[in-house]
Formats: sequence, structure tokens, C-alpha cells
Amino acid sequence: MSVGAAAKCGVHIFGIRHLSPAGAIHLIEFLNETKPQLVLVEGPSDATKLISQITLSGVKPPIAILAYTEQLPIRTVVFPLAEYSPEYQAFHWAAAHGAEARFIDLPSDVSVSLHASRRAAVRVEKENAREFYQQSNERYKKVAALAGEPDYDTYWERHFEHMTSYNAYRNAIHAFSHEMRQLSESEERMHTPLESAHNEIREAYMRTRIAEAIASGVSADRIVVVTGAYHASALQADHALMTKSEEASLPSVPTKLTLMPYSYYKLSTHSGYGAGNLAPSYFELAWQCAKDRDTEKLPSLYLASIAGHMRASGNFRSAASVIEAVRLAESLASLHGGRLPTLQDLHDAAITCLGYGELSNVADALARTDIGTAIGSLPEGVSQTPIQDDLNRNLKLLKLEKYKTTVATDLELDLRENRRVKSEEAAFLDLRRSFFLERLQLLAISFAQKRAVRQDGATWAEIWVLRWTPEAEIEVVESIMKGETIELAAAFFIKESLSQCKNTLQAAELVKAAWHCGLPSSMEDARQMLQELAIDAGDYAQVARTLRELSLLVQFGDVRKMDTAILVPLLEQLFLRGTLLLVDSAACSDDAAVEMSSAIIDMHAVAQQHYDVVDDVRWITQLEELAYRDDRNAKLSGLAFALLLERSLIDNERLAREVSRRLSPGIPADIGAGWFEGLSLRNRYVLLSRRQLWEQLNHYTASLDDEQFRRSLVFLRRALAAFEPREKNAIAELLGDVWGFGALESADALQRPLTGEEQQKLEELNEFDFGDL
Amino acid sequence: MDKKQTILRQPAELLYAHELEALKAHDKAEKPAGWQLSPRSVLNFIIGGQAGEVAITPKYIGHTRLVEIAIATLLTDRALLLIGEPGTAKSWLSENLTAAIHGDSSKVIQGTAGTSEEQVRYSWNYAMLLANGPTEEALVKSPIYRAMEAGGISRFEEISRCASEVQDALISILSEKTISVPELGKDVPAERGFSIIATANTRDRGVNDMSAALKRRFNIVVLPAPSDLETEVSIVRKRVSEIAANYRLGEAVPEEEAIRKVVTIFRELRGGMTLDGKEKLKQPSGAISTAEAISLLINSMALASSFGDGLVAEEDLAAGLLGAVVKDEAKDDSVWKEYLENVMKKRGAEWRGLYRACRELSS
Repeated sequence: MSVGAAAKCGVHIFGIRHLSPAGAIHLIEFLNETKPQLVLVEGPSDATKLISQITLSGVKPPIAILAYTEQLPIRTVVFPLAEYSPEYQAFHWAAAHGAEARFIDLPSDVSVSLHASRRAAVRVEKENAREFYQQSNERYKKVAALAGEPDYDTYWERHFEHMTSYNAYRNAIHAFSHEMRQLSESEERMHTPLESAHNEIREAYMRTRIAEAIASGVSADRIVVVTGAYHASALQADHALMTKSEEASLPSVPTKLTLMPYSYYKLSTHSGYGAGNLAPSYFELAWQCAKDRDTEKLPSLYLASIAGHMRASGNFRSAASVIEAVRLAESLASLHGGRLPTLQDLHDAAITCLGYGELSNVADALARTDIGTAIGSLPEGVSQTPIQDDLNRNLKLLKLEKYKTTVATDLELDLRENRRVKSEEAAFLDLRRSFFLERLQLLAISFAQKRAVRQDGATWAEIWVLRWTPEAEIEVVESIMKGETIELAAAFFIKESLSQCKNTLQAAELVKAAWHCGLPSSMEDARQMLQELAIDAGDYAQVARTLRELSLLVQFGDVRKMDTAILVPLLEQLFLRGTLLLVDSAACSDDAAVEMSSAIIDMHAVAQQHYDVVDDVRWITQLEELAYRDDRNAKLSGLAFALLLERSLIDNERLAREVSRRLSPGIPADIGAGWFEGLSLRNRYVLLSRRQLWEQLNHYTASLDDEQFRRSLVFLRRALAAFEPREKNAIAELLGDVWGFGALESADALQRPLTGEEQQKLEELNEFDFGDL
Repeated sequence: MDKKQTILRQPAELLYAHELEALKAHDKAEKPAGWQLSPRSVLNFIIGGQAGEVAITPKYIGHTRLVEIAIATLLTDRALLLIGEPGTAKSWLSENLTAAIHGDSSKVIQGTAGTSEEQVRYSWNYAMLLANGPTEEALVKSPIYRAMEAGGISRFEEISRCASEVQDALISILSEKTISVPELGKDVPAERGFSIIATANTRDRGVNDMSAALKRRFNIVVLPAPSDLETEVSIVRKRVSEIAANYRLGEAVPEEEAIRKVVTIFRELRGGMTLDGKEKLKQPSGAISTAEAISLLINSMALASSFGDGLVAEEDLAAGLLGAVVKDEAKDDSVWKEYLENVMKKRGAEWRGLYRACRELSS
């Protein structure tokens, strides 16, 4: 028989709504009745090879078929299946009855690329499309309103999910979809031509696959086609098939397919299409009841499980209340002429009888019962990418399997050797876990998130938050582009980033990343890159921050059992570079001085930490030069002076001389007060203990004319803002003493509450705009 | 004059007698035991619709689903408890439900701090009790007692105002569905159709908590304030014109514009925010309900007809507004003044007159 002739023969078409328990149960009955030899299912035709794996005994839904492109940018298409998906049940029926099952929709190569181009074009026709979707939504709402139901989902549940006979279900859904399609088809063609064209292409492709199957010798009445109800009429009708050349001209990008575990939470967030989506866990209960031929049980089961959740969280609800809730739900259903309560009826009954009228009392239990935390699983080796296998292997090896749940769990790690266990493997279990989790984090796989820990001077404790989501699974699959295992992928990622790395700081961060991930060879690569970049490094601030990163690595290197001594020569070399850059770089604007000052402080800390390695003497000399130069940024000179003062390299007499030189009358305010600001960045106690300094400051400010005084206020205010209240009090006392009020009296005055007049004066000052200066 | 016309306030079953007749005549569906209408028709009576030629006016606007839950509750012979802030139409709904289901909304217990257990169960005519001892004739039956005998619905208003022990007298009535009279040595079992609709305030002074045991015996429906401006305006308009007709206040019902202004002010102060959500407001200490907006407008109409030219002027509204918002002189006064200056003053020309009138009164 030719393909064209075959198309004329009628096959059995069973329209469904995806994720519909009633659809699943009626489909099974229909299959039992018609006993087909071939079951054709709407879904990517290249995924047919996965069907045999979907029906394996170790597979626990929800799962999803994931198609992903191998080239950048990575695009994915997900096809989720729950236990109550009619498609899923169709596969099981076929497997159990020796029938063949096949997918017949566009292969993922094509659908991924069509999807992408459609998305790009949607922006253009957005306005039209929005209007069309609104209209079509209105239409569904109107159907619900005419039936006296609050929303379309409830309408659907009461009028389709609750149907008992499969023939009635099949006919009703066909008729309903056909009518709805008739109403919207021409408008769709006008307002969203792409969407409409996409449907045409898919339907032509599916018709061709059906015709091919018939042509291959299977008699038409032994074929059952399972498809979304919307397509049912188009697949039956005598429409054109797709020619070979048309098929070849479809756009396509190479994709790969895999199965992945899915979660009910994820299913529930993709609302809008398919019945069970908003409350997957509820629909699973419905499926269980339907399978046991006991749909009347569902209200009791559902409401009892809500009461169970409430009891578990400490709110006791009696069985009597559950009974009343079931009765209320049933009488609400009867008010609408329904046989069974819908989810909406059950919700309202739960709120009224179990929540004492308040949604907030039952909201948590409702979410748990509607959505649940169920997550699917696949047996090892089932159609996974090597990187997924590697991940599972690692989770097992590192005893992390129990963290693979949708509930976020904390994991505390102690990286030090555990001396109570025998094998070395066990002794460093936490360290190896940390390496593994760091690699995941580097690859942006959202399973592991590191939480910041405040810990003084040690890095052996880490807290991780672990939470498994289907997104994480997708991210793992996407990482296959980078390598076959997690370790290889992480190394590849570092290598790739190194090639794009522009300055020493970025390179140092990659050294650190490699160190965190326990990848010695990557660390060596990064070190080399850092060394190359260091040759040309001329930005002081960047050098200083790089130094700080290196210093930490050298200091704490052995916590992670990694040899960081290789970094020491680099540290030495860069330190020298920094030292030499210091005085020149210090000729900068006040804005740049902010970054510079923290860089100087960083570098000083490195000098003290690694005094045995770096050239500390030269550093001090450079600081001294900066401190006494008048042509550098005054704030930085002040800071250099403060650092020297801190290391007791300046005696009292020199201090007095320098202060009076810097703060002598006639020095412009931004230089004098700026210097003081730099000075006060460090060791304030030393400053507070020197009365002479404050006398000098007082003398200096008094000598300024009005304009200069105003300018100096900006610097002084900034300098003093960093002091603690206690220290500010001490300054006030000191100044009081200088002005001859006596320290005690001024302290006393400070403690008195403000009078209204003073309050007002201070408030006026608050409005003083420093921005003008 | 017809007797019906002289009654100050007609019960729902008289006020809407023609609607109930029409519904009865067109009701084809099955009626539960003891009900005069089918549940569908009861719903129709409350939310409005059509019965043959007769238009059924909506009695409760905005929350159809809550009415469905209330009717379904009574179908399962459970007692119904309506909870809500003052003025959310709890009593109104309970009266109309009772009228629709049984045609008699008069079996009411009004809960107060002084309500005693006898008023809930039964008491005695003491003269007869002393003369003849305990006899049927000496028994004074409570509304609940009578409802049980007749298989009707008894209403218990403001149940949370009663002392806890009085509230708890209901527990045995609701679980056993009998009242025993040991003095006469008899038990009175409830006829089919018996139920209780109770109402309770959440936010008011002098309210006692309800025990968990009693709460468990009720299905509880919380009545919210109207969900949006349009709903509230239509509720207020409908009730104002009904009451005005009843009280024979001769003048025209206030214009929609005035009603809209009052409802806007009430909604903003109740929500603590301007309707556009841009400005936060202080809230007054008392609840300002839809019911109060209705009585305010009726009041202004009375003022206008007695002392004015018969048309509701801004001054008439202003007096009512001040009284409704400022219940606690010390606190609410500043709330109202701030509202006047910060919100109303900036609203433009249509609000100018009302603003002036309000400011004159509160300065």
C-alpha cells in the first residue's frame, strides 16, 4: 500500500489532556478493548529509543525527556511525564502486551530550532498575539462561567476528569476540542501566524508518520494514536502529508536526548497547560484512586492527608473534623450537580472545617498535599550522559546521596584530618566532599551553595546548603559540553576562563578556584598565567589585591592538602612590583585614593604576614618616602605615616614636627585635613593618647579663613565619621581640655540631654549640604 | 393602611415575599428535608438572578463561593458560624439564608454579656411554676428549642459576646441534637432541618473567645470586606435605596458620585492606604464598615430632608463622616485631620466642596 493511500484508512485516535489521571485510566481501558499492535504517541520521534528505558522497573516518575543542543548556545526542550500521564501509561501498556510504542512528533533537532526561531519572532507579533491569547482565555472562562464554575480548571475536573466511561470521555473530549478549535483557528492564523504554522507543520509530520506506519503493513484498526485533544481532529482528517523534500527543508540543529528525574514542584510551576499541573500530588492521589476503581475514596484520602500534615506541624485536627470536611465537599459538589468534589471544593471544605474559616491556617498543609516534594529517579545506567553517571558515582562515593532531595539541607564540613578513622580515604572524606562541591559550584550547578562562615584565621570549616532540583539536573547535562566528568568539566572551565583572563587579579582568583576545587594541574596552569600577566602588571591597586589572594593561599594552603609553596616566588616577585609602584601611584585624585588606601593596607598586612619572604625593608623605605613627600595625595601620605607610627618607627619628637609641618597655618584645607584623614585610618588609640596632636589640629583649624574652614570640614567630618561613639567622646573631652573647659566638665556636658534649642540648632546643621563644597 | 406597611423594619421573608413566591413556583429541583426551596434556588435568592418573570435582587454581592459554602454547610445539617469584622453583612446574610430556607427568620437569640443559659435552652413562667409545679404550660421555650421542634433554623447573633459558659451550652445541643428537660422527664429531639446560624465579631470590644470544642462543632465561614470599590459602591447603593424606600425618606437617593466618595474614604481609611496604593495612611481605632457607610448615607438623607432642602449636600455628608471616623476623640481626630489635609485636599475640584465642609466641622 502506498503512503498516500494508507493515509485514507482510519486509525484509532485517542485525544487526551496531558497529565490527566482520567485520561490515563480511560486510555488503558481503550487499549485493552482495541488491543492495538502499534501505539503512536505525540512526542519527539527521535526519543522512541528511550521508550524501552522509560518502562524499566527501576524508573520512578516524575521523569522528563530532555533534549539539548550540543553547540552553544545550549537550548533545551523538556517533555515531562508523571505516573498519571496518559503517555506514560500507554508505554507501560505496550510493554506489557507486546505492542510497539513510537513517538511521532517532530524530532527534537527540529523542534528545538523551531522553538528558538519562534521565540525570536514572537517579539515582533507580540501585540497581536497578546490580544489573541486574551480572547482565547476569555473564551475558556466563559465556558466555565456558563457551567457555573469559578474557573476553567474546576470546569475541566468536574466535567471531564470525573467521567466514568471511556467512550463518553473520548467522544466528549474530541467534540469539545474540535469545537474550540473551530472557534479559534481562523483568528489564530491571523494573529499568531507562526504559532499556527508550527501546528500545521507538526500535524503534517504526525500524519505522515501515521501513514508510514500503515504503509509498512500494520492494519489501521490495530493502531492507536495518543495525542493532545487539540490535534485529534487534524490527525483524523484527510489533510496533506509532508513530502520528503519538505521534511528535509525543516531547520535543524543537532541535539542529544536523555532521561532525567523530575519533581512535582517543577511540574506545578509550569501551569497553564495540562490538567494536573497545578496540583501534581493531588492528581497522583486521584490516579491511585481511579486505578483501584474507588474514586469515591479521593475526598477522604485528600482531606485526611491535610489533617495529617496539620497534626505533624502541631495543629491537632480530629477525624471528626475530617468527616465534616468530606461531607461539606460532597455537598458543595452536589450544589453544582457534580458526582465528586473537585479540588476547589476540597480546598474550600478544608479551609472551612480544618482551617476554621482562615486560609492561612491550612495554607502550608494544602501546599504539601497539592504539590508535595516527590522527585523521580532513574536506575543507574539508564540513558544518562557520562557526566550524570559521574555525578551519581561521586554522590555515592562521598556518601552524599541522602542530600539529593528537594528540601534544602545544611552540610557542615570539617576539612581537617579525622584521626578516629582508619583509612586515609575516610580521614579526608569532608575534604573530598568540599572539592566535589566546589567543582559543582564552579560549574554553576545549583545543587550546592556555599554559605559564608565567619571564622577567625582558619578555613577548615565550611557550611554548604544542598538542594536538588530538576534545574540542577539540566545544568549537569549542560556541563557535558565541558567534559565527561565533573572533574574534567571543572578543569576545562578553568582553562577556558584562563584564556580570557586579562589581569593578575582574575588570574589569582582562578588560582584560588583551582585550589578550592583540588585541581593541582589547573592551579599550575593558572599560576603560569598569573606569572605571565604579572610581568606587565602596572596597576598598584590590582597588584595589592592579587597579593592578598596569594597571601591567603600561601598561608592556608595545607588545609586542603595542596602544595601552595609554588606560589611563594610569585608572591615575592609581585610584592616587589607593588613596592616599586607605590610612590608613583600615590600621586592620584581623592577619588582614586579610596581604592589606593585599602590597597596599601592590604599590602602592609602581606608584608607583616610574610616578612620572611618579602622585602619588608624596602617596603618601609617606600612608605617613609611617601609619608614625607608633599607632592603625593595627602591622604595617602597620612596613611603611610600612620602605618609607620603603628610599627613604632616614629618617635614623639618626629611626630610633633611632622604634625606641625602638615598642619601649619597657610596649608590649604584639602591638604591639611586630607592628611589628617589618612592618619586617622589606622590605630586611633595611638592618636587619642597624644594630646599634642589635637592641640595642633585645633590651632590649624583656627588659623583657616572661613572659606578654607568650610572645605576642611568635609575632610574632618569624613575622618571622624569612622571613629566609634566612645572614641568620639574621648576626642570631645580632649578638645574640651584644650579649650580650657576641663575634660570632666565637657564629659558631663556631653551626657546631658539636649535642650529644645540645641536640638533645633543641630537639625539646622543636618541640612548643611556638604555636596556643595 | 396595610399592616405590612407600618412595620418599622420588615424581616427578610416579608420584604422579599414576592421573590420567594416566584422561586417556589419555579423550583423543580429536589428539596432537602425541612427546606422550602432547593439549594440552587436558595443560592439564587442570595446572589440574585431570575425566577420566571420575576427578577431576584442580589442580597449579598461579591463572594458567591462563600454563600455556596454556607448553603452546603446547612445541607449537611452542620451549624454555620459566620465570622467577620463589624458590618460585613453577617447578620444580613444569616437572616436572608434563614428566610430562604425556612421562611421564618424570627427565631433569634441576641447574644450579650447578660445572656444566660436559660435563654439558650428554656426557662419557666415562675407564677405558673409556683402554682402548678413543672408543667408543659409553665415552660418558656427558647428560640433554639422552638426551632428544634419545628425543624427550622435558629439564629444566634453575636455569639462571642456571651459568657463562655453560655456559649458552651450550645455544645451538647449541637452534638446530641436534643434538649433534655429533666423537670418534665423528657427529651426534645430535633426535627430534620434543624440548624443554627451563629454570627461573631472578630474585632470589637467586649468579645469573649470561643472554646475550641464549640468551634469544632461549627463550619466557619469568614466574611471579608468587599473586595473592590465597585462591589462596595453597588452594595451601598442597593441598600441605601431599599432602606430609604422603607423609611419613606422623601428625597432623592444621594447621587452615585457622593456614594463613591464616601466608599472611597472608607476603603482608604480601612486599608490604611490610598486606593492607588501610593500613600500610606494612619488607620482610625474603630472598624469602619460597609454597614456604617450605609447608615451614614441614610443619616445624611434624614438630615437633608428634615433641616435642609431635601437634597443631600456636602455638609450633610461631612457631619456623618466625622462621626463615623472619629470614635475615639484623642486618637482618631488627628487621623481624620491628616487624611483631610494630605489626601482629600489634593484630590482636585470634585472633592473641594466636601473637603471644605469637613474642615469646617473638624476645626
